Amino acid sequence: MTALTRRRLATVLALFSLLLAASILIGLAVGPSGLSPSRVVRALLGSGSAADADIVLRVRLPRVILAALVGASLSVAGVLFQALLRNPLADPFVLGVSGGAALGGIAVLGFGASLGLSYAWVPVAAFLGALATTLLLFGLAGARGRLSSTSLLLTGVVFNSFASAAIVFIASVAGLTEGTSIFLWLIGSLSSARIDVAGAVALFLALGLGCAVPLARGLDLLALGEEPAQQLGVDVPRVKRLLLLATALMVGAAVAVSGLIGFVGLIIPHLLRLVLGPGHRLLVPSAALGGAAFLVLCDTVARTLLPGRELPVGAVTALAGGPLFLILLRREQGSWGAR
Amino acid sequence: MRTLRAPLAILLLSLLAALAASAGTAPGAKPARRVISLNPSLTAILVALGATDRLIGVDEFSARQEPTTASLPRVGGLYDPSLEAVVALHPDLVALVPSAQQRNFRDQLRTAGIPVLEVDPTSFSEVLGSIETLGDRVGLRVAAEQRVAQIRRVRDEVESAARSRPHPRTVLVLQRDPLYVVGAGSFIDEMLRAAGAENIAASFSDPYPRAGLEWLLASAPEVILDAASDPEPAAAYWSRWSSLPAVRSGRVIALDATLVTLPGPQLDRALVVLARAIAEGEAPEASGPREGGR
Repeated sequence: MTALTRRRLATVLALFSLLLAASILIGLAVGPSGLSPSRVVRALLGSGSAADADIVLRVRLPRVILAALVGASLSVAGVLFQALLRNPLADPFVLGVSGGAALGGIAVLGFGASLGLSYAWVPVAAFLGALATTLLLFGLAGARGRLSSTSLLLTGVVFNSFASAAIVFIASVAGLTEGTSIFLWLIGSLSSARIDVAGAVALFLALGLGCAVPLARGLDLLALGEEPAQQLGVDVPRVKRLLLLATALMVGAAVAVSGLIGFVGLIIPHLLRLVLGPGHRLLVPSAALGGAAFLVLCDTVARTLLPGRELPVGAVTALAGGPLFLILLRREQGSWGAR
Repeated sequence: MRTLRAPLAILLLSLLAALAASAGTAPGAKPARRVISLNPSLTAILVALGATDRLIGVDEFSARQEPTTASLPRVGGLYDPSLEAVVALHPDLVALVPSAQQRNFRDQLRTAGIPVLEVDPTSFSEVLGSIETLGDRVGLRVAAEQRVAQIRRVRDEVESAARSRPHPRTVLVLQRDPLYVVGAGSFIDEMLRAAGAENIAASFSDPYPRAGLEWLLASAPEVILDAASDPEPAAAYWSRWSSLPAVRSGRVIALDATLVTLPGPQLDRALVVLARAIAEGEAPEASGPREGGR
């Protein structure tokens, strides 16, 4: 492993920031209504027509911002879960937090109308679901004071299947006519992007990054195994507890606003490891920037590919990410086994 | 040889299928007396034709929508009808719309030897056809023909009255978020045009497309007809987008979804409500209990 110099860190992060900036510009400039670049610029400067301003500032901008935040959250979560659980197939949804969020959101879709709750409550309920799941998970898996990766994974898998069963149950009992909402939730979509929820997602992303960046060195050592890391001076239980909690909350916030957008948290971390190497000081911030750029571009495709229509962005990430992941896996096959 | 055999097999199969179908719905067969309806629109048609006494079971949605059927045995929801509950009622006809969820159920019923009537109307004339078909099967052909004639008459009246009025650019919203609208080819699209609207979503080729918010803003509708089920009032919801001409001129109108979007027996009322909403931007009658078949 090459030693990470300040210079390399700065160069790589500057490159990824440029990539993100470019993708944000593309996301703002491109859309199904085909506004000319000059009209987009005028709308951004506040001198365009009211309709153009609505399209650029209130439809495209919130989506671009939210796509960037969700993409960053999911891909950082992927890096952290893969390192903490020492499992290359761990993705942001592996701990069952997503199931809890989906359950909360769909409960409002199913029963909210009879309680007089408008659908604006869906993300709030989803986040509460994620929060409850996180607490439950830590209560169950950490019952004897230490958090074992195996019991976390098992609890997560079981909770996810429980949650999907409960969702099907709610959908049939409530007689949901909003079947499409549930479907979109499960595949992931940014079409309901609202700027007022972006702040919450940003807050939890900052929390996750704020915990992960200072602990990056500990994450590197954790790759050696929990006991060797402990012997090298890492407070393994504390690092695990802190990072798992921060990451679970970050994923909860992302899932609450966008549903289960797959592959971002799997493909971006692996791609970046291939390009940048396994060091987490570089990997964690690059994953934030790269994941953000990836999802902004995917969402631009999702809302532009079929004129006037919306594709769920989760379908785009899966279609782009699935084949890419298989190719990566094939190239990496030897090295994971050898590690 | 092989290239010839395949079309031949297909031809034979379709002949067999046609034979089987005609055996199921032989004209002049005895009218059905014990009918189970698995779809709210079919239940509404049967009730409107005066066939409530022939109904012996309905799905949950029908029971909720048609108060007169609320006391009947229920055989499950749209997605999960119970085969056992249906068989136990000994129906001589099960009427259903072969949606993706019910196609499998239809095959199970056929295997169990229960006569099935499939109705899957999309266009306006197909809806009218389904009223006649259903009326035929329960021995109420005359009532069905009268109902259809009445709907045709109202459509002609509404259409000729609308012809001289301006045709505002209109969108009918079925669901707000995700946004679903009425596109081209459905009976609702035909009613919109008959009632004097220019349906801006007719540019989509399928009947109920999922559209983007940006598309809606860029298409600048002058009238928004909102049949969504979200409890937030339509005018309050759409007021967020003040650049929409419909919002600026106050022509956002909430519609009773069951009246306008149900391919049932009340299309005449739906046409009148749509015409009034499009012409005057006036909120139509509140969604109260519906009058029975007229």
